[in-house]
Amino acid sequence: MINVDALTKTFKNVQALDSLSFQAKDGEITGLLGPNGAGKTTCLRIIYGLLQADTGKAEIEGVDANQNPIGARRNLGIFPDKFGLYERLTVREQVAYFAGLHGLKSTEQRQAVEKVIETLDIKELADRRTAGFSQGQRMKVALAQALVHSPKHLILDEPSRGLDVMSTRILRDVLREQRAQGTCILFSSHVMQEVAALCDRVVVMAKGKVAAEGTPQELCDMTGEQQLEDAFVKIIGTDEGIAA
Amino acid sequence: MSALTSVWKKEFRDAIRDKRSVLAAMSYAFFGPLLMAVAFFFLITQLTDKADVEITIKGQENAPQLVEFLNEQGVVAKQDDWAKTQTPIVLTLPEKWQESVSKAEPVEVILRADWSAQKQQTDIKRVEQAIQAYSSQISAYRLTLRGVDPRVVQPIQLQKQDLATRGSKAALIMGSVLVFIILSVFWSGMNVAIDISAGERERNSLEFLLSQPLSTWDIVTGKALTATTFSLFGAILSLVLIPIIFAYVPLHEIGMNVNFSVGMMVLMFILLVPLALFATALQLFVSFRAKNFKEAQTYISFLLIIPMAASFGVEFARLKNPILYYLPLTGQHQAFLSLIRGENVNVMGTVISAVATLAAALLLMKYIARMLKSEKIVFGL
Repeated sequence: MINVDALTKTFKNVQALDSLSFQAKDGEITGLLGPNGAGKTTCLRIIYGLLQADTGKAEIEGVDANQNPIGARRNLGIFPDKFGLYERLTVREQVAYFAGLHGLKSTEQRQAVEKVIETLDIKELADRRTAGFSQGQRMKVALAQALVHSPKHLILDEPSRGLDVMSTRILRDVLREQRAQGTCILFSSHVMQEVAALCDRVVVMAKGKVAAEGTPQELCDMTGEQQLEDAFVKIIGTDEGIAA
Repeated sequence: MSALTSVWKKEFRDAIRDKRSVLAAMSYAFFGPLLMAVAFFFLITQLTDKADVEITIKGQENAPQLVEFLNEQGVVAKQDDWAKTQTPIVLTLPEKWQESVSKAEPVEVILRADWSAQKQQTDIKRVEQAIQAYSSQISAYRLTLRGVDPRVVQPIQLQKQDLATRGSKAALIMGSVLVFIILSVFWSGMNVAIDISAGERERNSLEFLLSQPLSTWDIVTGKALTATTFSLFGAILSLVLIPIIFAYVPLHEIGMNVNFSVGMMVLMFILLVPLALFATALQLFVSFRAKNFKEAQTYISFLLIIPMAASFGVEFARLKNPILYYLPLTGQHQAFLSLIRGENVNVMGTVISAVATLAAALLLMKYIARMLKSEKIVFGL
């Protein structure tokens, strides 16, 4: 479980997070939905310990990411905001590298790499260097890197950006599969359909705060709208009304 | 530890597949000594040049014997015109040469030249020496004619005994070769150091690497060891190539004797190890702060001035200060100088400078590891 408790973060004069609190439960897909600049990436970077929160804490399985970032990251699979690949390495080498960084050795490592390659159906890419890969292929490699150590928590920062329909479908399938295995999945997005199609719970963020929280249906009911998109607009637009 | 080796292995594999990095590491070690050898080759042929000195001789008909003598000494009258860039060397023989000589009066011979012109200095000297020699010849004749032993006018005979051993003469020229070897550790790993730091950032993979469960110290160490491996590879290459290439330079013609023994090379290599780590740490420190490869390259070329200035400065200013034995960079330089001169190496100084170099490298790496935890540096906030 990922527990975000009253996170506050300020960059110079910009308040990026304003006592943000929410939870992502095991075996559920939690969507972090918000317009650009709402603080989604900042929040996720605090969860994987790259940024220090001013106040509040983010806990992964009870481990505080700011106090013990390495311990917290052991339980995390991360699909970051920027996922550059090592273009001179093959997919297999690349995935094995991150398996190694998570402490997997020799046989154990090889098996884990084989397994994730099979899961993502990228056998024919496995021994190619990643230079010149398409956006969809790059996404799969990044996903393989995030999943190779079978993390109990998966955090994805706008994973579907730049993907075509086929790649998006593969991504969804993988996430549903992971959910079925009991993984706690947290992903940020500003794409409505994706959130509606995937998420068990949605946390709507605006200006560094939680604007609303619930299942997609609950959000629609709350705002009296049929479509999540309309609900979203209403929540963001009439911030105070919802919060009250 | 296992995370460190993972990083090292991966970075090494990555770097060795980067043709630019490998080529950069090799080309300096390869072309540098070659270039230097060619330069020395020309220097030596110039120094040992025994071709005739051509000067303008005015009034040749006044003193044919002197002109003949000069010709025998390799000083001849110039036939063509002087180049515009050269100051003419002009020797004027007076009309009353015969008259003065027969009366045993001093004859005024004028040598007009530019004594500050570097290139003409040996020429001028040879003309002077030839005329001096002719002058002593005449005085010897005169004294003999008057029944006096010519030796009475030479009360002191100066014997020049050159104490410069062949090795120490060599040290003069080899000094610049040493500077070159020392700089090889700065050059050879440079491209790799930039690629695994600023390059990692530019390719957007830094954030993901930093989100992995390993300490930034492991990341920095793994990366530093990779670049150090390349830098030492370059050092080995230049250490091996320099004696081979210099075997073809006729150093013995100017009385130089360079002996690279295997033991000496191994010792030099060992001394270069901490220096390579230090060079790498410096380069990583600079390029982790740069936004991209190009920016890092610009900073590092400024950084390279430091070791160059330090080693060339000491070399050419002939600085002699005991502290030089103990500092990083200059300590290795001094030890190399002693090695090549065949002198005893200042063991204490060398050990202390090696330890100081290593300590400086580790401190710098610790600082980089801390830097990579800073949001300011990582995200440029």
